[in-house]
Amino acid sequence: MESQSLTRVALLACGSFNPITNMHLRMFELARDHLEDTGQYSVVKGIISPVGDAYKKKGLIEASHRVEMARLATESSSWIKVDTWESFQPEWLETAKVVRHHYEEMLSAEHNSDDVDTVKYGKKRRVEENCFEGSVHQKKRDGPQLMLLCGADVLESFGIPNLWKQEDIAEIVGRYGLVCITRSGSDPHKFIHQSDVLWRHRKNIHIVHEWVTNEISATHVRRALRRGRSVRYLLPDSIVHYIQEHHLYSAESEQKNADVTLAPLQRYTTASSS
Amino acid sequence: MTTCRVPLYLLACGSFNPITNQHMRLFELARDHMHSTGQYQVVGGIVSPVSDGYGKQGLVQAQHRIAMAKLALQSSNWVTVDEWESQQPDWTETVVTMRHHYEQILKREQSTGTHRGSIGNTTSISTLSPQLKLLCGADFLDTFKTPGLWLHGHVEELVSHFGLVCVTRGSLQPERAIHESDMLYRHRKNIFLVREWVRNDTSATEVRRALRRGLSVKYLIPDSVIKYIHQHNLYTEHTTYRRPLRPLEVRKPADTANMPVNLTGYWKMISNDNFEEYLKALDVNVAIRKIATLLKPDKDIVHDGDHIIIKTLSTFKNYNMDFHVGKEFEEDLSGVDDRKCMTTITWDGDRLVCVQKGEIEGRGWTHWVEGDELHLELRAAGAVSKQVFKKS
Repeated sequence: MESQSLTRVALLACGSFNPITNMHLRMFELARDHLEDTGQYSVVKGIISPVGDAYKKKGLIEASHRVEMARLATESSSWIKVDTWESFQPEWLETAKVVRHHYEEMLSAEHNSDDVDTVKYGKKRRVEENCFEGSVHQKKRDGPQLMLLCGADVLESFGIPNLWKQEDIAEIVGRYGLVCITRSGSDPHKFIHQSDVLWRHRKNIHIVHEWVTNEISATHVRRALRRGRSVRYLLPDSIVHYIQEHHLYSAESEQKNADVTLAPLQRYTTASSS
Repeated sequence: MTTCRVPLYLLACGSFNPITNQHMRLFELARDHMHSTGQYQVVGGIVSPVSDGYGKQGLVQAQHRIAMAKLALQSSNWVTVDEWESQQPDWTETVVTMRHHYEQILKREQSTGTHRGSIGNTTSISTLSPQLKLLCGADFLDTFKTPGLWLHGHVEELVSHFGLVCVTRGSLQPERAIHESDMLYRHRKNIFLVREWVRNDTSATEVRRALRRGLSVKYLIPDSVIKYIHQHNLYTEHTTYRRPLRPLEVRKPADTANMPVNLTGYWKMISNDNFEEYLKALDVNVAIRKIATLLKPDKDIVHDGDHIIIKTLSTFKNYNMDFHVGKEFEEDLSGVDDRKCMTTITWDGDRLVCVQKGEIEGRGWTHWVEGDELHLELRAAGAVSKQVFKKS
């Protein structure tokens, strides 16, 4: 009974993972602890989805390496997995599409594996009636839920013009949900307050406070690597070895896409001006 | 190529309760920095966990802290764990630990010294004698100002004879500490400040807090250490809130009739009269005196027959006496006035009287109990200080 009333959740993290660091992995742990502490959720899966090469971010190395490093990093985790679907897309994909894809994958996996599911449908409809608007056809309360896991910087990037489509933001927070890890110095509540769309869906945004400041950014890791400095204990040992073996992250690789516009900016800027 | 680099060892002292990724990260940062000076070749790192005698709340047994540090450092080819300090019965001053390790290094050098030159890229490296420096965090320099924590000779020895590698987070705190101290300023060339650009506040305290609350600590400490903690059931609510180093949780009754009182208990200071005069009589310098009089140390006493352990605990420094009534012993008053005395403690009725023979005339003290109060009279060269403690 107890366990049946918990909503199963999968957490999806999108990003460059260039390279994956301990901080990325730590975010999953913090999010799971937080959601399970609410007494409403059971986090069953973590998905790391490295962005494809078409994202055109400066210094972004080939997806094959980024995927492999993420795979090595998650070897010691029993619940976090890497998914390559996004990384293999020839074109850059909006995050909302990636979320949609993973949600469909999850649902079809459910239907294939679980016959008992049909029994639960009766109960589900009752719960649905209490749901708020916009969530109707997605919030199958007894089914699994997919939430996007991100740092406070992503939440704040919603405010950057031409980076996100407004309907995508509404879809992500309205239909799916967001788990946002924040650290001291950022005030996500204020940001939510200032955005009408975020405020409308505020109940779908879970703020997790990271008390232990951990600012390991991939940018910092790449910088240290270029300068021949140690990056040990910032990322798993297996990744440090992989980087050395494949001679990744040089001054040269950092110049990749240096003069190219980031794919989302390119797409929306052109769209709005034409 | 042309310059000779000084072979350097880095020593980190602390609780390591438990060791975290951040501890190991400090070593990596320090090594990179020292190499970038062009003067040093870092040849080894030593993690030296404090002994159980340190008496810090929540400190798990040294054997566990050592085992965890060893697991964590299994993957490092230059940082190792040393058990010497952890095996000392009492807390060891950092300088004493450094002296010990430096002797060990010199001994090793003498036996294998000629080897290293041929292994390293230049032979010149072995012509310079090795150095040992203390690796510490940003707030460490501030502890020099803390009264009673350091003996004045020790700080100077530490910075002049050995040297410090201090990892900072970009605050001006360490620079200010050096600027404000003439002694540190004099030896500033021997204090290396390493800037940590990535903030990482993983403290062992946070790790223990998360463990107590059943939260994940994965990626903050190595998986092998997490496994060890679970296997040995460490840092549970039970082990953390208790003070495991205070064996007096079990109060033993006085087992013989000739023991008129039992002093066992945890006593908190409620008054302290004329303490400064007493310290003056012991030649304790004015700076330490002024601040020592502000401290309110607790007495933690285990009284078991003729065997009595008196721990004087303050936020800054602990002093332990472990003795048998009636037996003279050499008392090392390091941390008080750095003297040595021939000390005898006897019962005078229901009063415990101590005589400390040595350089200072008429030195000693008397302890007695009145109701739920523990009284202490301290005497030195005619000065008498009176302290009263209440049982907690």
